[in-house]
Amino acid sequence: MLEIKNLQSRIGDTEILHGLSLSVNVGEVHAIMGPNGSGKSTLAQVVAGHEDHVVTGGEVLFNGSDLLQLAPEERAREGIFLGFQYPVEIPGVNNAYLLKAAVNAKRQHQGLGEIDAFEFLKLAREKMAALGMDPKFLNRGVNEGFSGGEKKRNEILQMAMLEPKLAILDETDSGLDIDALKAVAEGVNALRRPDRAIVLVTHYQRLLDYIEPDHVHVLSGGRIVRSGDKSLALELEEKGYDWVREAASA
Amino acid sequence: MTQAPLSVDRIRRAVSALPTTRHEDWKYTDLSSAIDISTRWLQEDVSRAPDAASPQAIAALTAAVDADWIVIENGVPDPSSFPEGGDIGIERLRHAEALADDPLARLNSALQRDALRIEINAATEKPLGILIIDEALSGAQVSQATIDIEVAPGCDAEIIEYHSSSGDGDHYSNSAVTLHIGESAKAAYVRIQDRDLKHVQTARFAIELDTDSELQMAGYDLGGGLIRNDVDVNLAKPGASANFNGLYLAGDDQHIDNHTRVDHRVGPASSSQEYRGILNGRCRCVWNGKAVVHEGADGTDARQANHNLLLSDKAEIDAKPELEIYADDVKCAHGTTVGQLDEAAIFYLRTRGLDQRAAQQLLTHAFAAGFVNRAPVAASREAVTALVEARLSTLVREAIS
Repeated sequence: MLEIKNLQSRIGDTEILHGLSLSVNVGEVHAIMGPNGSGKSTLAQVVAGHEDHVVTGGEVLFNGSDLLQLAPEERAREGIFLGFQYPVEIPGVNNAYLLKAAVNAKRQHQGLGEIDAFEFLKLAREKMAALGMDPKFLNRGVNEGFSGGEKKRNEILQMAMLEPKLAILDETDSGLDIDALKAVAEGVNALRRPDRAIVLVTHYQRLLDYIEPDHVHVLSGGRIVRSGDKSLALELEEKGYDWVREAASA
Repeated sequence: MTQAPLSVDRIRRAVSALPTTRHEDWKYTDLSSAIDISTRWLQEDVSRAPDAASPQAIAALTAAVDADWIVIENGVPDPSSFPEGGDIGIERLRHAEALADDPLARLNSALQRDALRIEINAATEKPLGILIIDEALSGAQVSQATIDIEVAPGCDAEIIEYHSSSGDGDHYSNSAVTLHIGESAKAAYVRIQDRDLKHVQTARFAIELDTDSELQMAGYDLGGGLIRNDVDVNLAKPGASANFNGLYLAGDDQHIDNHTRVDHRVGPASSSQEYRGILNGRCRCVWNGKAVVHEGADGTDARQANHNLLLSDKAEIDAKPELEIYADDVKCAHGTTVGQLDEAAIFYLRTRGLDQRAAQQLLTHAFAAGFVNRAPVAASREAVTALVEARLSTLVREAIS
């Protein structure tokens, strides 16, 4: 589904990704782990199409076609979802309005008509109930004054409404207490499907206690230095990232 | 009623005394175009009948809000539009008292031939609408409105003042409105300025609040080539509260200047104002908010804020809060911001499938949203929303193309 080959990127004058390769198949859950500054979030941003990141080499294919040619919104409509590490607060834009606009942008791309207002509300309320979100969040400004946990739940709500083919969740566990972490993890698990792939970007192993990955990759210095199954995450937790850095430079 | 004859000499003197940019209050706003239009108009026959506004235009504007409309066309009130009997009293005056001793007030006075005095004695079923419509098909024309409004003690009044102009000619309007809100009365006031993008307006609005009275006001500047609004709020009685907001939307070649002055003469009393601007293209806007807390006005609470969104690097804003405090027990706060659309928010919206333009449009509208939803006269909200949305959509389209 997602094929990244020898990807290189820079932001400003700083090179971040140094020949990163990764292959994610449909139905799989991958965890990308790595120390701060290893390029985890950059990878997520490049796949989503952030224009501050300039791709200087390599390629990214999504279901066989060149993803790098597409604008961020086109990638979203094709079924790529980025869950933000720091979801943006947008006062004055109603949460329900954004959800609906996002759903309709995708439906229009698929040649479908706009979602019925009643159907939309019913769907949104169902998904919110499953995530333990108060329906009043629908009528608040997007992420405006939300706590850390509420913001992350809101990201998962958007993901649930948009039903992406590929979801990249950037540090979805950061800043969450244990209850919020469980709620978010349950939300993600409920969205695991044979026709969907999920990439979890995380610093800590903790999230993987609740969402079991099929593959774990360790990123260091802008490339993947080690891949394995979920036991790699436990090994990392035990030995720390220095172990990977040493292994990488050896 | 026959109109008072105009004295060309007196007008000419008033025009020649208009302030220049050397005057501190007029530093950012150059009245040359107003002087030029007035001078050319004076060279022609000032007594000639102005161009008539189209009845369809008047019908369309007044249909936008369900109100009892008084129509002032090219400075001349149309008596057939006056509400009959009931709780609103209307009187045509040959001359109203001068508002203030300043050059624009003197020009208004010199140009006066048909002023209105409106008394609102009880809450009415529908808001009172005042449509000030000017038409200038060719050449240079000057017309203005002069209105005194009195809201009786204890009365709840809703008022909409709507300025509109059209035509390929040059037009200058120098209106003067006074509003006196009686004891324990409440006034909800909406001002809409949607003049032709070439026309010039100076407008003074002087408001006086009596004991325990309340003002809720919002102004919307959508059009005009050169616009200068002066809002003076006089809080001379205790217990009064004045809340007024303004939204200005400016595109290429527009200049919109909002000068406000609040005089807190006694306490306790409160005033709060928030002006917001969205600027695109080569335009300039000014917000100058002055609050004077006079000696002895203890218990004053004065707040002012001005926020600006610049969609273009050619747009210019001069934002100037001014506080003068001569009393001890006061709460005063002010803040101004100038910024562009948040790139992080644009990217966030794009990752949700909205294209660049939709994202910019959504964020720009969001900046104005609170002001539109909270228009003080409920009956005007739909029309205000439609007008603001239409103007904003044009500005955003121009900003993105």
